Amino acid sequence: MPALKGSLTYARFFVEGELPDDFRERFMRSIRLRAMRPLEPDDEELERSGWTKIGEPFVVDLDYEDVFFNEYVVLGFRTDRWVVPAPVLRARVREAEAAYLEKKGRERLSRKEKQEIKQLVSRKLRRSTTPRSTIVDLSWSLGEGIVRFFSHSQKTGASMMELFKKTFGLTLIPESPYTLAARIGLDRAQQAAWENLEMTWLGEDAPVRLHDEAAEEEE
Amino acid sequence: MSTSIVDSSLGSGRTNLADRIELRRFVGRELLLWLWFESELFDATLSTKEHGSFGLWVEGRLVLDEGKESTTIKGTAPGMHREAKEALLRGKMPERAGLHLAFGDHDCKLTLRGETLAFAGLVPPKKKTEAEEPVLDAPPPPRRKKKAEEAPVDAAHETFYERMYYARDVEGLVMALYRDFLALRLSPVWDSHVVPALEAWVAGEEVDVDRYRAARDRVVARAGKRS
Repeated sequence: MPALKGSLTYARFFVEGELPDDFRERFMRSIRLRAMRPLEPDDEELERSGWTKIGEPFVVDLDYEDVFFNEYVVLGFRTDRWVVPAPVLRARVREAEAAYLEKKGRERLSRKEKQEIKQLVSRKLRRSTTPRSTIVDLSWSLGEGIVRFFSHSQKTGASMMELFKKTFGLTLIPESPYTLAARIGLDRAQQAAWENLEMTWLGEDAPVRLHDEAAEEEE
Repeated sequence: MSTSIVDSSLGSGRTNLADRIELRRFVGRELLLWLWFESELFDATLSTKEHGSFGLWVEGRLVLDEGKESTTIKGTAPGMHREAKEALLRGKMPERAGLHLAFGDHDCKLTLRGETLAFAGLVPPKKKTEAEEPVLDAPPPPRRKKKAEEAPVDAAHETFYERMYYARDVEGLVMALYRDFLALRLSPVWDSHVVPALEAWVAGEEVDVDRYRAARDRVVARAGKRS
């Protein structure tokens, strides 16, 4: 669901922290450093994320014009992951283990040998396939301090927040009723009411109240 | 840059920001409930200080849940279905709602999620082609042709800006509605007027619209003067 076409489906994140004076040069260097490096079958990692050009997920050599659209920073967030179906992996590992035992004339494998065989088989299977890529667009409105991330996936959002922090040294906070209330700004009476807010209940039966563990700890 | 949310005095008694966020997620569900309620009560015509009167109604899909139990109602007016109010009576609250908005030059649909206030399926208006645009005057003189490689990049940027401005306009409206909702939700009028009106509405009883409107307008106007 990209930023450049189709309907807009996104979650917002608020940027905590100030931009450095030389942010454009500095960010460009950091973005290039954390641009997507495609996964190779022999890599140790099974999953990797990095930045790409927005709308062009396989363009990872980024120029200034690719990233800065006036007051916006625009990027693609790509995650590559090896996906080998578990039954296929199990079957191939069993075959390899049997062949190894026969070759060695033994009946049992050590734990280390089992791990090594599994790794070898995984790598071999990876060479015959390609990693699965997930691509999500991101636009950072520098003036507003808001990142619009074109996915609702919590997992992908969490990975993006991690890479964002590593790249820009700034923390992202996901939008929620709390964050929007904080941004709107409440007066003293409203803040007091907010502290003691209880859920409105329209059900016919009495509500089941969940324990507020954080509040209990404070008491 | 926006004000710091981490340093906000709102809920600072709770030092953990994640707790402060999690424990108030239900407020977003109540926002959806209130929008649904007001859109029915005021015949799909709401207003804010900045936007004046505009159209808002629940359309497409309404999802209510409580724990693992969920009810999804689809249709042109899912909020009007008997099942929707019954779900509320069973203790379910709106988790997401399809909204139709008609404000300014905009006429759009989107799905608003209560707990994250995230948007889904917001369709920006299509750019009018020259043939569709009304001809008022003589055609302007032909523009200087841009370099071949320059044009697509400019067009992509222009499209992006238009989409972002559009999203910001809609976000601005939702933010104004949330501000008015909070003014009401965090005032004594919520318990004295809004909850009784909600209970009557859910039960299918008559709601004293004028009394409700007078009370809500007073609170919203007072909050508006302070901001």
